[in-house]
Amino acid sequence: MDASWSPKPDVARSRSLATVIYEWVDERLGLEEILALARKKTVPDHKYSFWYYWGGLSLFFFFVQVFSGVLLLVYYRPGPEAYESVRQITYDIQFGWLIRSAHSWSANLMVFAVFVHMFSVYFMKAYRKPREFGWWSGMALLALTLLFGFSGYLLPMDDLAYFATKVGLEIPAALPLVGTFLTDIVRGGPEVSETTIQRFFALHVVILPLIYLPILAFHLWLVQKHGNALPPSEEAKPESERRTIPFFPDFFSLDLGMWLIALNVLSILASLYPWQLGPQADPLAPAPVGIHPEWYFMSQFQVLKVFGRWFPGAAGEALGISLFTLAIVIWAAIPLFDTRTAGGRRAQIATYFGYFALLGMIVFSIWGYLDLK
Amino acid sequence: MNYPFWDVPLIGSGWVIGIIAIIHVMVSHFAVGGGFYLPMAEAKALREGREDWLRALRDHARFFIILTGVFGAMSGVGIWFAIGLAHPESTSTLIHNFVFGWAIEWVFFIVELTAAAVYYYGWDKLPRRTHLIVGWIYAFCAWMSLVIINGILTFMLTPGASWLGAAGTGQEAAYFWQAFFNPTYFPSLVLRTLVCISMAGVYALITASRIDPLAEPQLKDELIRWSAKWLLPSFILVPFCFFWYLASVPESQRALLKLGISTIGQGTFTQVTRAATVVVMTSATILAFVYFSAWRNSRHFNLGRALCVLFLAFAATASAEHSREMLRKPFVIGEHMYSNGIRKQEVERFNREGYLTNSMWLKTDAPPVSLRRVAFGQPVEPETAANLARGELMFRGQCLACHTVNGYRPIARLLQGRDRQAIMAFLKTLHENKPDSPYRSYMPPLVGTADEIEALADYLDAILNHNVKRRSDHLAQADRATF
Repeated sequence: MDASWSPKPDVARSRSLATVIYEWVDERLGLEEILALARKKTVPDHKYSFWYYWGGLSLFFFFVQVFSGVLLLVYYRPGPEAYESVRQITYDIQFGWLIRSAHSWSANLMVFAVFVHMFSVYFMKAYRKPREFGWWSGMALLALTLLFGFSGYLLPMDDLAYFATKVGLEIPAALPLVGTFLTDIVRGGPEVSETTIQRFFALHVVILPLIYLPILAFHLWLVQKHGNALPPSEEAKPESERRTIPFFPDFFSLDLGMWLIALNVLSILASLYPWQLGPQADPLAPAPVGIHPEWYFMSQFQVLKVFGRWFPGAAGEALGISLFTLAIVIWAAIPLFDTRTAGGRRAQIATYFGYFALLGMIVFSIWGYLDLK
Repeated sequence: MNYPFWDVPLIGSGWVIGIIAIIHVMVSHFAVGGGFYLPMAEAKALREGREDWLRALRDHARFFIILTGVFGAMSGVGIWFAIGLAHPESTSTLIHNFVFGWAIEWVFFIVELTAAAVYYYGWDKLPRRTHLIVGWIYAFCAWMSLVIINGILTFMLTPGASWLGAAGTGQEAAYFWQAFFNPTYFPSLVLRTLVCISMAGVYALITASRIDPLAEPQLKDELIRWSAKWLLPSFILVPFCFFWYLASVPESQRALLKLGISTIGQGTFTQVTRAATVVVMTSATILAFVYFSAWRNSRHFNLGRALCVLFLAFAATASAEHSREMLRKPFVIGEHMYSNGIRKQEVERFNREGYLTNSMWLKTDAPPVSLRRVAFGQPVEPETAANLARGELMFRGQCLACHTVNGYRPIARLLQGRDRQAIMAFLKTLHENKPDSPYRSYMPPLVGTADEIEALADYLDAILNHNVKRRSDHLAQADRATF
């Protein structure tokens, strides 16, 4: 028998199609280098590791926002038809209600995840050198997330959205000197109107994403560069006692698992408690009883309200918002204050300040809701 | 109107059954699936001479017997109590029809419990082969109890043409087997068996997650991966069985599933679609979660992650059971008995002779207790009090099975903003139950004479608008009976 007819061991044939495709792409894009980097990276494994997932969860909800937001964009019409288009999405278009509901719930879950991420970073002291820029970029992302939430809330233009935005705009309007001027620019006039929807829409889908995405990329690059920070209790341990797991594929697959849980929580909320649409906004109608901003603005709103009560007139509101602004400035500047890597007096003060801020947010939010009744 | 009414404020009687039933389903499906898991795992451990596996399986058997033997049995009895109180008419129909079915189930149940006890307590005492046989006896009896109860459960959705033909003749029990092997029997049996196998894996992951990965890394890896595989069959086969099941359901009921596709509507009309969305999402992702968290990271698979798997299984089960229950609307026994206990055949008679005519629960000499709050201190004519008492009994008899006043599916919110005239117009729509009525596919027709329906309108007007005087001007007189 001719030897040339007998089957020869052929390395290329034994490889699967997926391997061949992978190698083809790898030769051109250098995937192996990226994977080698990911495999080299490790994530600390300790009793506080649970808190490492919240940054990833925030990112997951952001992806959901982008995906569901693009789908809503197909049918949403800003301007005079805003309400009618959201009504069609909610009541006429197949599964439109689900996409809208997922978008609204995911927005709230994203804000919640970002807050948890911020406080866990704070209490693990992950803002210390060399991670200061991570902290500041994170603060910027939080502010933008809140702005996303605020600008998106008005877009359905039902009565709740209208009056909540009207009330919510009282917060920046109370800023000393520039408050009214800035608020009028955002609002497109002295009252919330169709112009405001147009402006909020532009802000929501173009301006904010343009600012958000580069900062997000910067933030993620910093996480990749510096890795996950160790909490002080773990830092105190000798290196031999510290445990780590490879980022890829171990932590990555655990992260994906958490994303799946988040997806299910979102799906349960969006399906079983679908976001409702109120009656169309009527600026001449009285505001619905107990109108208030979303929960993540409630503490600020209540601070203003309380100061307004204690110091009647514009002075009270100005004082309230000034104090609030000061607290945010201190919060942002904390990496410059708590610089020591080992525990100490400044570290303790920073921790107490964190407890104070968290407690303040919770107390003022609950107070705000109780005050509505 | 043979039985008194069970008024459960806020959540309603339906949710009392629902809460107990969902817990029971979670545990009882584990009782069946776990019945196969234990002897199969034990046989594997014996074949491979793995003492560490046997030790871990014994721990799992303890968890199994406590959960299924205590919570499973207790919640099963709890369902009996709850359905007897909330739906006495339908429970009575089921007992009359399936009494021997339940007797057979109880025989299997007793053998099941005995075998479970012998299996656990005889772990190191019985010869290995005998012990395994006891395990298989348990598994068979547990599955047989599912085989029996499945017939009764599916009967409620699709009683089948033969039984429906005999309904009301007194010869229903003669059609036992036709009713038992009804159109949805087999798809439901296969579906539930697959879910049982999954549940075995879900609960086994809980005990396996407790193994210390530093002390016994190999055992943890192997047990977690072996248990995770138990979720695979249902993941692959459930979608096909689900379509088989749906194909066996009458078109009128299938239509309920589509109601919520294009609109969220308000409240109940879209609940089946919304709950089914949760079933699809949780069922589609549970295996992926197990793959990423357990299969790929078995050593990091801790109790928290195991509870996440249980959470997904719970969400899928609860939503699926809720959807199945809602799919029966407006009936509690398909095409025979409406969800408020009124038989389809009785509608005309009640309309002609009156719904309250033969009720032993009507007390017209005292004002209804539920109205004291809205009309406290107001003088009310005795005949008005009697009229409102009739209205309240209409409400209790025909609305209370699905609605509460201020809690779940609250009448106060659903009818908010309607004056008496609007309430009456709505009741008229329910009473006429025309083919194009939007309520027809979900709600039973309102039965009773014109006067009874007027009384219900007065009662609802009093509840909603605190109006106990409008119908007659002479009611508001002093020194009369007061609430």
